Amino acid sequence: MRNLFNFIIRNSHWLVAILLIAFSFYLVFACNSYQRSVFLTSANKVVGWSYAVTNNITSFFHLKKNNQQLLERNAQLLEEMHALKAQMDLQAANDSLIVEAFVSDTTEQVQFEFIPAEVVNVSFSGPNNFLTLNKGSAHGVQPDMGVISQQGVVGVVSMVSDKFSMVIPVINPKFRLSGKLKNSENYGSVSWDGKDVRYAQLGELPKHESFQVGDTVLTSFSRIFPKQLVIGIVRSRGESKDDNFNTFNLRLATDFYSLQDVLIIRDAFHEEQKALEEALQ
Amino acid sequence: MKISYLYEWLRFMLLIILQVMLLNRIDLFGVATPVLYIYFLLKLPVGRNQFYVIISGFLMGLIIDVFLNTPGMNAAATTIVAAFRRPIINLFFSRVEYDEFVPGMYTAAGAFIRFTIFTVLLHLTLLFFIESFTLFNLVNTLLRIVTSSLVSVVLILALDSLMYKKKTGEQT
Repeated sequence: MRNLFNFIIRNSHWLVAILLIAFSFYLVFACNSYQRSVFLTSANKVVGWSYAVTNNITSFFHLKKNNQQLLERNAQLLEEMHALKAQMDLQAANDSLIVEAFVSDTTEQVQFEFIPAEVVNVSFSGPNNFLTLNKGSAHGVQPDMGVISQQGVVGVVSMVSDKFSMVIPVINPKFRLSGKLKNSENYGSVSWDGKDVRYAQLGELPKHESFQVGDTVLTSFSRIFPKQLVIGIVRSRGESKDDNFNTFNLRLATDFYSLQDVLIIRDAFHEEQKALEEALQ
Repeated sequence: MKISYLYEWLRFMLLIILQVMLLNRIDLFGVATPVLYIYFLLKLPVGRNQFYVIISGFLMGLIIDVFLNTPGMNAAATTIVAAFRRPIINLFFSRVEYDEFVPGMYTAAGAFIRFTIFTVLLHLTLLFFIESFTLFNLVNTLLRIVTSSLVSVVLILALDSLMYKKKTGEQT
């Protein structure tokens, strides 16, 4: 013990020196902004580094919890997305789909309502082609309603169940539709010869009708379709049955190979027109 | 004995005045500033009490700091030099000399010159590194240390020669 005290007493001037040096450095850091800033920056670096290391370690242990939270969040967002998607499908009715199919006249739109539907089954392998849509009488679909796609005419509803409807498309030999060239008033009959799904024929058009390849063929008088609906585009002159009439090959506006979304046309005046015309007969 | 203390404190004050009023305004070639107040520690008798050396060194540095508005820098450097004064003296002077021996040009010139160079270099290295506090501008800091040490050593040796001559002149 005595030795310890002796040691302390013998070296006490070092203790004093250390105290005074420490005090001096305290003054340096406390009273000089430059030294303080340097000191604090380096200290902050050390502190920041140690925090980063701790964070790395602790975050590893939180991974499981974070994963769980992310999964939950993901599920919630997916749910929301589907809800929104469904809502959008509901509201996708009267917008851009129609505008492209019509050429000019839009005043008749009041007459027509559109029911969006999806093609759930399609057959175009044989001559008796048909489409099945996922909307039926429960949605207001009735036989003899027209069906169009974004590009143009698709066909006519023939049979309806509660939730589904069958459509006879343009590419069915039973299908008949009156059509005309865009820049004339004479009309002919659109039919399909059963050969190529992409092409239909416009026949019974007067011979004096001038035409060019690329002319648009539109719907004419019809109980089913509005006027001025695109059917297809003239591709070439076809074989005619007699000399007074021309027949054209049309490239159909609707691509049946990739048909997905269609609109069913509900004509508000259909019953009235039908009743009147039948009364006269 | 009493006279010796009086001389020391007189030297203490004169060195402070000299350093603050004159020397610190010199900035030779933009790098060299003579720092002479360490001369006080050099001229203390070899066997002087360590507490006395350390505390007077600290006070010296602190007063310089107060005048130069650099709190702590000179005090830290000077206190470190004062604390290591005894080991440095043991390095350059033989141990046989008695406690009241005062290092000087005319007592032991070679040893005193080496002692002065070493002490001033240590002091200014500490001082300038505390001042710059980074290794960022290392070349400039080293240049300042070397040139300032050179000027300081030359001035201290010249001053010591002068004082001694004056003293002897008075005595004779």
